[in-house]
Order: sequence, then C-alpha cells, then structure tokens
Amino acid sequence: MANDVYRLVYYSRNRMTGTPDDLAASIATILNTSQANNGKVGVTGALMFNSGFFGQVLEGPQAAVESVFERIQQDDRHGEVSLLAFETAPTRSFEGWSMGFVGASVPDAARYGAIVQDSGFDPTRMSGNALFETLHHLALDDEKLAAA
Amino acid sequence: MDVSRYVHDAERATRDALTGLFNRASFHQLLREKLVVAQRTGEALAVLCIDLDRFKSVNDTLGHPVGDGLLAKVGERLRSMSRETDFVARLGGDEFGILQTGGDQPLAAQAMATRLVDLIGRTYVVDGHMLNIGASVGIALAPGDSSNPEVLLKRADLALYKAKVDGRGTFRFFEGEMDARMQARRAMEINIRKAMALKELELVYQPQVHLETNAVVGFEALLRWNNAERGVVSPADFIPLAEEIGLIVPIGDWVLRTACHEAASWSQPVSIAVNLSPVQFRNAKLIESVVSALASSGLDPGRLELEITEGALLENTERVLSVLNALRAIGVRISMDDFGTGYSSLSYLQKFPFDKIKIDQSFVRGNTDDSNAIVRAVAGLGASLGIRTTAEGVETVEQLNRIRAQGCHEVQGYFTGRPMAATAAASLLNATSSH
Ligand SMILES: Cc1cc2nc3c(=O)[nH]c(=O)nc-3n(C[C@H](O)[C@H](O)[C@H](O)COP(=O)(O)O)c2cc1C
Repeated sequence: MANDVYRLVYYSRNRMTGTPDDLAASIATILNTSQANNGKVGVTGALMFNSGFFGQVLEGPQAAVESVFERIQQDDRHGEVSLLAFETAPTRSFEGWSMGFVGASVPDAARYGAIVQDSGFDPTRMSGNALFETLHHLALDDEKLAAA
Repeated sequence: MDVSRYVHDAERATRDALTGLFNRASFHQLLREKLVVAQRTGEALAVLCIDLDRFKSVNDTLGHPVGDGLLAKVGERLRSMSRETDFVARLGGDEFGILQTGGDQPLAAQAMATRLVDLIGRTYVVDGHMLNIGASVGIALAPGDSSNPEVLLKRADLALYKAKVDGRGTFRFFEGEMDARMQARRAMEINIRKAMALKELELVYQPQVHLETNAVVGFEALLRWNNAERGVVSPADFIPLAEEIGLIVPIGDWVLRTACHEAASWSQPVSIAVNLSPVQFRNAKLIESVVSALASSGLDPGRLELEITEGALLENTERVLSVLNALRAIGVRISMDDFGTGYSSLSYLQKFPFDKIKIDQSFVRGNTDDSNAIVRAVAGLGASLGIRTTAEGVETVEQLNRIRAQGCHEVQGYFTGRPMAATAAASLLNATSSH
C-alpha cells in the first residue's frame, strides 16, 4: 500500500499575461522549481501548455503527490484548475522526469500556445485518461527524438 | 526558569490546534487592539467572516479525519494568501475570520474576498479523496460600519448570511438594510412563537365540490393567523420563515390534529385535505404525527388527504417514495398540489399512485389556448391513470363551465365556496345531509 504509485491528472487555465518572452521565462521558472521540489519527494510527471491551458500529470507516493498538488493549487499564475483523476497506477509512466515539459519547446509553447487555436487540443473535453495518454505519447515522442 | 517554554505555551494558547491559525479568543483580542489603533490613525480595517459551503457533507460522508485534513488545508490556503498585516483565525467548526489592516478599503477587502472565494473553491486532495467545497464571505468595514468589535463582527456575519442566501460561493459587504431585515425577521419569529402560545392560529375550511352531483365531497383546511397587531397575516408571509426556522413542524402538527378532530365531528364522512410543507415531509416524525392525529381524533384514515407540492418531491426519490408508501400504508390519501407549476410532477405520477391531482389555479384562471389545453391534458392524464382531478381557484361560472367541459372531477374556489369557519363548514354539511 505504502509503495503504491498514485497518479494525478489535471488541467488549468493560464493567468499569466505579458509578452511571449515573459511567459517563456515564467514557464521555465516553474519547471526549474518543479524539478527541484519534485525530485526531493519522489514525484515525477509531465507538463504541457497549449491553447491557453496547462495540462499536468503528477505521479508518486500519495502524500507527496497530495502536497505538491496543494502547492500548485495555491498558485495564482493559473486558475480554474480541473482535477480529472487521482488514483493508483500500476507503474510510473514518466520515470526519470521530475517534471518534463512535453509537446512544443518552452519558447514555442509560449509563443503559439498562449492563444486558443485550432490545434484540436481542448482539455475541457478530455477525460483524465485521455489527457494522461496525450501527455504520455508526447513524452514518448520526445524521448525518441532525444535518442535519435 | 525556562522562558522559551513559557513563551511557547503562551503562544499556543492563542492558536487553534488543528490549523495553527489564531483562535476565536485571540482574534477578538486582536480586533479590539487594532480597532483602538485604527481609531487613532484613522486607518480603515476590514473584517471578513468565512463559512465553508458543503463542508458538513464531507465530514458526514468521509469522517472526521478527512474533514480535519481538509480544514488544515483550508487554513494553509488562507495563510498562503494573507500578508503580514492580515490576521487569520479559525473561529470554530468550519468558520474562519480575517482581520485585514493596512489596506486601501474597500478595494483591499474586495480583492481579498475575490481571491479567497477562488482559492478555497479549488479542488482538494486529502487522503486519496478529491474534495470540492466552496467559501461564502461576509465583509464589514471599520470605521464605516462600526468601530465596536462586537458590532463589527455581527455585521460581517449578517453580510455572510446574505452571501449564503444569495447562492453561496460568493461575498457580500454589509449594508444598512441587512440589519433592518434581520430585525424584522426576528420580530416575526417571536410573533410566530407567540401565535402558537396565544392560540392565534386558526383553520378555515374551503369546500370541494363534485362536478357531476354538485355535492360537497370534502374540505381543504387552510391556515389563518389573526394577530392583534398585524391583523390577518397571510400564510405566504410567515410560512417560509416558519419553514426556515423549523417552527413549521409544530405548526403542521397542530394543523393535522385540529383538522382531523374537526372532520371527525362532521355529520357526513367527507374528506379533509391538509397541506404538508416540504420541511414537514422531510421530518422524521411525520408518520408518527399523522398516526397520532388519526388515533386521537378517531378519524377514518381514508378521509384524510395529505396535499404535497412538488417542492417536497424534488430531492432523493427513494426516500420520498418510501415516505409516500408509508403514508399510503396507514390508509391516508395523497394529493399532488399545485400541479403544473414545478418540474418533477410527471415523473412522479409514474412512480407513485397519487389519489388526486390538483390543477394549479393559474391554468384555471388563464383562459388562453395554452392553459385550456393544459387543463384538458391533465384531466385526460388523470382519467387514464385512474386519478381524480380537482381544479383550483374557480371564481366564475365561465371558468366552472370550462372546467366541466374539460373533464375535471372536482372544483375548489371562490365560486363554489369561500374558506369558512369550522362552525360554518359543519352547518353546510348538516344542511345538505338533511335534504
Ligand atoms: C501549471 C503549474 C504547474 C506547476 N507544477 C509544479 C510541480 O510539479 N511541482 C512544484 O513543486 N511546483 C509546481 N508549480 C509551482 C508551484 O505552484 C509553487 O509555485 C512552487 O511549488 C513553490 O515552490 P518554492 O516554495 O520552492 O518556490 C507549478 C505551477 C504551475 C502554475
């Protein structure tokens, strides 16, 4: 029980304003903080930014995931956080990623992802599982690219 | 002497053990002190009273440990959004308070309340459970609303009450008329309690007439309140408040007893209809109260008709059905009142065999194609389900003829008989039985 992996999936709406460069810098800061914090408590996961929405998966021990998520909930830089899933998972899917940024690069995401666009990405219509699968596939693509 | 230990204990006495926030006593103390300072400097202060929406159901369904974990997280969120000049306290249960100093009022309080409603309303995860609660917030400002700590808190509480009435998950500033309205409510509450004691409540009886035979087949008991100061008070003016403060249960019990007692003395075994408020309907003692009214009056259960509005049927279908079936098992009849004004009627007609449908007067009086079609449809529905239909509020001979043509069984309204005193109802029955 104590060793169970818990997986939490949510999406939220960006509330940061400013130029794409400002936004890219903020996302980079969030990632740095996340990687440092999550690494210490055994949490792994992935974050994406598209069409004005963040999508994130957190996985790890229950108490650690709960407390990381509670901190994220208190963050003013996003809002309308919709928690889609919080359940045990058979294994970690983002092993080795204390917090990976998936999909476009951070500068591209900041430039093109801040506006709602026709990318077909609409997390408000996704189940927790669908959003998780999306992030997981993007992560696998990124790993393939890195390996190539 | 270990001074640090002493300081630690003193500090602990000012804190709420679960959240680490200030406790109620120290919050009051802080408020008194800051108000004194503010009066000297002319600075404005805000007091925010916060109540959690739906917390009780978390506690009830998942237990105290989860509830406590949730409260701790709420405390953490409140602290995370407060500045050094804000003092955050747990005032008890799921109530919190914030004293905001050093802000530009009322803008600072408004910004804080907005943020608070958003932040507290975000989903929590506690011990593996996803939890959703909300926050209602009431705000009072010093010196504008008061510089007296007790009055200020009371006014923030009144504003909180308003926020809850206005649908929760929102905030309200105190306004002068809230005081007046609350006083009027309190006066009304005292008056209702007195009315019970002074026997100012009275029942009047309105005849229900069979359309084919023109015979009186029953009466509906209607509540009247004759107050020395207010005169005749309409039920619409006191029943909602009586429901809100729970007084409707003893009032309803009195109505049942009195009506059954009266009907038992009639010379003809016609029916007696009694209205049940949704609050009475949800009350666990309802069945007991009906059984006891029947037993003490000796009235045949088949003559008692309980009228239920759709409001009583809205929630929890299973519970509603079990109450309806229990009443049916006693042998009393059940009518659906004000039919057509709510939403759930049709689905309930399918699930529960009502004895009677009472068609709302708005359809009877509105002589439009639509209302005519509705009356006809309901009469037809009643006929096909084997349920009697009564048209309410018939006032003219034209309406009576129309209702007759549309196929209703019975009418009730000023045209066929106004509500009358118990003695008049009894003599009406005597007169018709002696023919
Ligand atoms: C979309 C989004 C995702 C975030 N993800 C994480 C995360 O995975 N881990 C984390 O520690 N902080 C995350 N943060 C940042 C936290 O909200 C918070 O700012 C941070 O944990 C504070 O850490 P610090 O006290 O070390 O500065 C995220 C913020 C946002 C807006």
